[in-house]
Amino acid sequence: MLRNAAIIGCGQTKHSGRRRDVSQAELVSEAVHNALEDAQVSMKEVNALVVGNMQGFGGVAQPELWIGDWIGAPGKPVLRIATGGTTGGSVGQGGFYAVMSGLYDIVVATAWEKHSDSKEAGATTGLLHVALANFFHAFGYGLSMKNLLATSAVGAAAGVAAYQARFYMHRSGCRSEHFDMVAAKCRRNAARNKYAHLQWPNCTPEDIHKTDVIVHPFRMGHVCPASDGASAIVIACEDIALKKCQRPAWVKGLASYSDEENQMQSESGGGVGVLDPSEQMGCRLSAMKAYAQAGIKDPQQEIDVAEIYQPVPSQELFFSEKLGLFDEGKAWIALEKGETEINGRMPCDPSGGVNATNAIGSSALQRILEAGLQVMGKAEDHQVPKKVRNAVAHGWGGVTNYVTVTVLGETPAPRR
Amino acid sequence: MQRRVAIVGYAQSEYQFDVPRTREDQVFDVVKAALRHAGILREEVDSVVTASSDFLDGRTISNVFLSMAVGAYQKDESKVEEDGTGALLYGLMRILAGTHDVVTVEAHTLASTINPHQILFYALDPLFDRQVGLLNDIAASAIQARMYMKKYSVPEEAVAMVSVKNLANAALNPLTHRKMPDLTVEEVLNSKIYYEPIRELMIPPITDGVCALILASEEKAREITDRPVWIEGVGTCQDHYLRERNLTQLESLQKAAAQAYEMAGIKDPYREIDVFEVSERFAHEELMISEALGLAREGRGQVLIEKGLTGLDGEIPINPSGGALSADPICATGLTRVIEAAKQIREEAENHQILGVTRALAHGQFGICAQKNTVFILGGDR
Amino acid sequence: MAYLKDQRRETMMVEGSWNIGAYRYKGSTQLQEYVDGLKEKKLIGSLCPGCGKVIVQPRNICGRCHRRMDKRMVVSHKGTITCFVISPPIEKGKYKIIGIDPVEAGIIQEGAILVPVFVRFDGADSNINTILLNSSPEQVHIGMRVKAVFVENPEGKLSDLEGVEPLKE
Ligand SMILES: [Zn+2]
Repeated sequence: MLRNAAIIGCGQTKHSGRRRDVSQAELVSEAVHNALEDAQVSMKEVNALVVGNMQGFGGVAQPELWIGDWIGAPGKPVLRIATGGTTGGSVGQGGFYAVMSGLYDIVVATAWEKHSDSKEAGATTGLLHVALANFFHAFGYGLSMKNLLATSAVGAAAGVAAYQARFYMHRSGCRSEHFDMVAAKCRRNAARNKYAHLQWPNCTPEDIHKTDVIVHPFRMGHVCPASDGASAIVIACEDIALKKCQRPAWVKGLASYSDEENQMQSESGGGVGVLDPSEQMGCRLSAMKAYAQAGIKDPQQEIDVAEIYQPVPSQELFFSEKLGLFDEGKAWIALEKGETEINGRMPCDPSGGVNATNAIGSSALQRILEAGLQVMGKAEDHQVPKKVRNAVAHGWGGVTNYVTVTVLGETPAPRR
Repeated sequence: MQRRVAIVGYAQSEYQFDVPRTREDQVFDVVKAALRHAGILREEVDSVVTASSDFLDGRTISNVFLSMAVGAYQKDESKVEEDGTGALLYGLMRILAGTHDVVTVEAHTLASTINPHQILFYALDPLFDRQVGLLNDIAASAIQARMYMKKYSVPEEAVAMVSVKNLANAALNPLTHRKMPDLTVEEVLNSKIYYEPIRELMIPPITDGVCALILASEEKAREITDRPVWIEGVGTCQDHYLRERNLTQLESLQKAAAQAYEMAGIKDPYREIDVFEVSERFAHEELMISEALGLAREGRGQVLIEKGLTGLDGEIPINPSGGALSADPICATGLTRVIEAAKQIREEAENHQILGVTRALAHGQFGICAQKNTVFILGGDR
Repeated sequence: MAYLKDQRRETMMVEGSWNIGAYRYKGSTQLQEYVDGLKEKKLIGSLCPGCGKVIVQPRNICGRCHRRMDKRMVVSHKGTITCFVISPPIEKGKYKIIGIDPVEAGIIQEGAILVPVFVRFDGADSNINTILLNSSPEQVHIGMRVKAVFVENPEGKLSDLEGVEPLKE
């Protein structure tokens, strides 16, 4: 990196299933307003914005053109980035690059999703669209309804994640009960985060275990909700960050590697060469590059807290391994020992994570934001009770092939 | 800028309507051709930035099944959802930040998949304009054209002359879509009316197109080619939504151009820039763009076209390639302008080559009535 | 943070639609080659001349080598289960896919337990997502050997491959 950048302010909205008190534009402005207030920066001082969501969910094409007026964008550069589930992570990284490039000094990065704007439950209008073109194509070649329904009906709620979980269980020896433990931990942590969606104080693994099975190995209690919400961060260059903020969260490393699609389908119905969708080479490569930039040699020792994108609990386990926080296949053992609790050795998702709050476009930016809060010491009730030198934020999406990894720290990265 | 960055290779598909090939095939071929033009392998690329739109491609996460075709397998990649000049800006930022050295930038829209004008309807304020149902992008631009022409007494003939010039230039460009070498002002003014005063030949045809270019840091660019095209300046700006905007001027383009000129050290664009490639989605926009770029005083863009200054042999040639009026593959339109500008500098434009080009300007836009504008200044080794 | 509202009031609801029926996607014809193979009870995959990977169903482009996978290969009917999931007993009104309730439509029997699996056929470097037939949820395991089950009279459709069943070797 030729120029340092840091988060100097964070803002998010209250997340819930239906934010019926605001429009999409008002929702975004709420987050941006909160971020600017937190950073003590006025919109006049902001040089550029990086924005993003998934257009299909809100049903508005290029919403930044309409929403721009609500967030002070007119007259400024606006870059729209959208990469599916990782949209927020890509938007955050776009904001960092904008400052690191030297082109802009203060940048606001904001991402959002308003699921309840979609009439259908779970906002499936947008999600199905990923596959629709391919389904229609396959129907043309006599795909039977029976096959489609059988293979996708049972997986509709969990999709490829259920297969991922099975692969991971087979590799590591982890059991469905461990998923109960992760989900319960996320609900409990969320109860300490006033912005989170699914809050459940004192939730126990037994509580989760009582919920219905959707598809083995997943229960209803394992799955993330669909939330309405937005998040925003203010990013500044070194001089301004030092002037404006007592304890900025410095960007030390960032990468977003993509792998081959691994959801059994490529363009026009072809197969894919990734046999195990929990392999996640994109995550490994991203983590390796981000750690190298950050000068981190041993993530197990040098990372103090992780914000992992985990719509289902199994993902927290195997992604934490791919991020190098635990040995391969050992994350569930650390979970059993309580190491991933807020007060544990390697806290994972002290905010409750995506498992408790999932406003898709926003989710991965929220990971960066929450990691930033931990570094800045501003996470309030869910602040980890130890010194945070480095925090890692992860995002995941696409047809399971896109990953963003961002490392934030209390000091800038060592110069190359 | 913290580093010098250059364009070292590029490629375009042949812009046509309803090209009988899949999205994946076209993207693969163009990226492959761009790498070949630069003379490098996929392995030498650090990062890939693409531009496409979920609505225009008709798929959520429009880039998701294209990662392999675009050569992003196990590469640091991202996608912007707007004009290709946005992807170029993001690729540039990645190199300037010092984290990457070689970046592939790709943009595409196969507009035959769905009528793009229908999509822009969904970009209207969903709570009001979409409900009222009176506006679409062509109607809004017709309002803009009427206001602009009325305010500055611009005759219809001047607007039609833009179409005549660009579509005749297009006839010299083998890759573009609508070519009309013998078009006359009368024919333009007698073509089918869409929304008064906008007529069929004042709007681009619906086009499928893919283009890609390779960006490299100075060090790498010198290794790769002896004819790098340097990015000397960049500026971008978003304007107000339709309602709050002064439609008779492109204020966001003025700001974008001012940023780019300052970065490139340009005081007098009329004299210092040799050729202009701009994204005029409607014929009247080229006049407004030329004013916003500082080539003519407010409302006097008509003089440039009437005096022939913007023609192939004029003092300030605009769109020798035929411009957006000859082919408009939405997300790829702006990046095509950048490629055409680079061609002029490298003297690879063949039939529509302008002699002695050392500096060129490329412009991309997005949104209804050019709400978002991006300007790049390119220069060769001098 | 000033904007955090505790008391919320509903806004008005404005209806809107998104007409996706108008898209005209361009598909490739590689699936045609695959279903032509199914008609002869053959499983056809694409072979990459660069890395030698064989992908079933065939795909066009190998991202690893960034080249076209223009060669074709026939793979074995025998294969191995690499992954599986087990549904709870399917109930009426629980799932809807593209607006269809599979029980109501008579496609799946009420109370049936489905076992969707990933199968890697011998000679392929990819999985196929299909259903395990003639077996039970207790029997299925990773590494289980299976063979392809075709319909009696294949017509050259994707549905010609019904699923897989346990293989006794
Ligand atoms: Zn290969």
